[in-house]
Amino acid sequence: MPETSRQRPEPVGAAPGATVAEAGGDDQVADRVYAVRDGLALLLAEAEQARRRRAEAAGADGAVCAWNHFENIPTFYNWNNRPR
Amino acid sequence: MSRAETRQDPAGGGRPAPTGMRGVATVPSYVVMQPTTLCNLDCSYCYLPLRAANRRMPVPVAAAVARPVNIWAAQQGRRFSVVWHGGEPLAAGRDHLAALISPFSADVEHHVQTNATLIDDPWCEFFREHRIRVSVSVDGPRARNDSRHTRGGRPAYDQIRSGVEALRRHGIEFSALCVVSDPSPGLATELYRFFLDLGCDVLGVNIEETEGVNVRSNRWPDRAVAGFWAELVGAWRQAPRIHIREVEWSLRYAAAVLDGTADEVLPRQLDPIPTIGYDGSVVLLSPELAGFSDPRYGDFTSGNVLASGLAEILATPERTPWVTEFVAGVEACRTTCPYFGFCGGGHAANRYFEHGRFDGTETNHCRNSKIHLLEGVLAHARDQPAAA
Repeated sequence: MPETSRQRPEPVGAAPGATVAEAGGDDQVADRVYAVRDGLALLLAEAEQARRRRAEAAGADGAVCAWNHFENIPTFYNWNNRPR
Repeated sequence: MSRAETRQDPAGGGRPAPTGMRGVATVPSYVVMQPTTLCNLDCSYCYLPLRAANRRMPVPVAAAVARPVNIWAAQQGRRFSVVWHGGEPLAAGRDHLAALISPFSADVEHHVQTNATLIDDPWCEFFREHRIRVSVSVDGPRARNDSRHTRGGRPAYDQIRSGVEALRRHGIEFSALCVVSDPSPGLATELYRFFLDLGCDVLGVNIEETEGVNVRSNRWPDRAVAGFWAELVGAWRQAPRIHIREVEWSLRYAAAVLDGTADEVLPRQLDPIPTIGYDGSVVLLSPELAGFSDPRYGDFTSGNVLASGLAEILATPERTPWVTEFVAGVEACRTTCPYFGFCGGGHAANRYFEHGRFDGTETNHCRNSKIHLLEGVLAHARDQPAAA
């Protein structure tokens, strides 16, 4: 396999100026999530409220889609590949 | 235990590598259909090589696809969709599109990804009649749509807005896909305000990709891209009326990490996402590869639905050598990239068009639309823990 990867980008969620390695190694993404969990908790709560206001629900007939089956929306919203 | 099996946990306990995305599923969740290669626009970033030619899909191709799709769609608890893509799918005309839709059962959801320029009252009635879900490709306000123009170079913006107004007149909910060609400060806020006014329910944001016949560079400074996504979260948070694909997925992953369920986020297997070309040829995994060929990989097709059934083609994806190479690339991502649990592996088309092969790992697209997306959301949570 060819070496096509470049040096990892600077992790913006980590301390300013740090590289991923400096932030603790390759497996630190989850730890950086934990590091901002207070801010995320507020953001997640607001997102949940927003979803309720948008009345997103499984089986909704319009363009809106729901949080819990988001990855299953069988169109161009599929995360892991999608036409444009 | 190898690094491929378990990455080192910073606490010393050993964090298992994510377990999703192993191999290619034999039943897809949707198929992409190309009713015509023709597009009435000639966007400067478009990856489609045949968009000036009107090669229309014969109805027997749709019928051959419908046979297994109708079975899959009838399975309990399964949603199954046909995405009419293009070219511009509306350029096929209502009569022909209706003929192509007719072999599919009522269980199948239909979607179109359209530039909206051809949408008028009759098309809206057609969408209603066939219960077609609509997604519009538009890149923001007039000045941000310079890349979207007719073959004669005329800007398409007014036609796009006219089509959207028709959708709104008929009360048809719609989604939007926006291509960002320059993630500069202020753009995310400008775009989000535009899409609030446009009235879409769902928004997907794609940082422009270097693929197909579009060879423009998509390498942007890391901080600029992460800053774009962080700003988009902030703009969304002020008026979260639109479901933003990228924000929702990032939050879903972050929530799963905090809940200790991150390994459940990724699908267990890769969705094969068969793209059915106008002539019945099948390209797996990346629709952007359809219509291209390479001395090493051939035309990227895995068969033709007129010669063998779609289910048969999907049963043996490894018979297509580049697919096997791609799966090896996904495994390389799993063992080397800390973002794999969020991303699930770089897309096939991005690997090929950026690296020239499928078993490389990180691409510019990975950085722009996965890595710095997550980093931008985390940066926002760090810097603006509460909405201003």
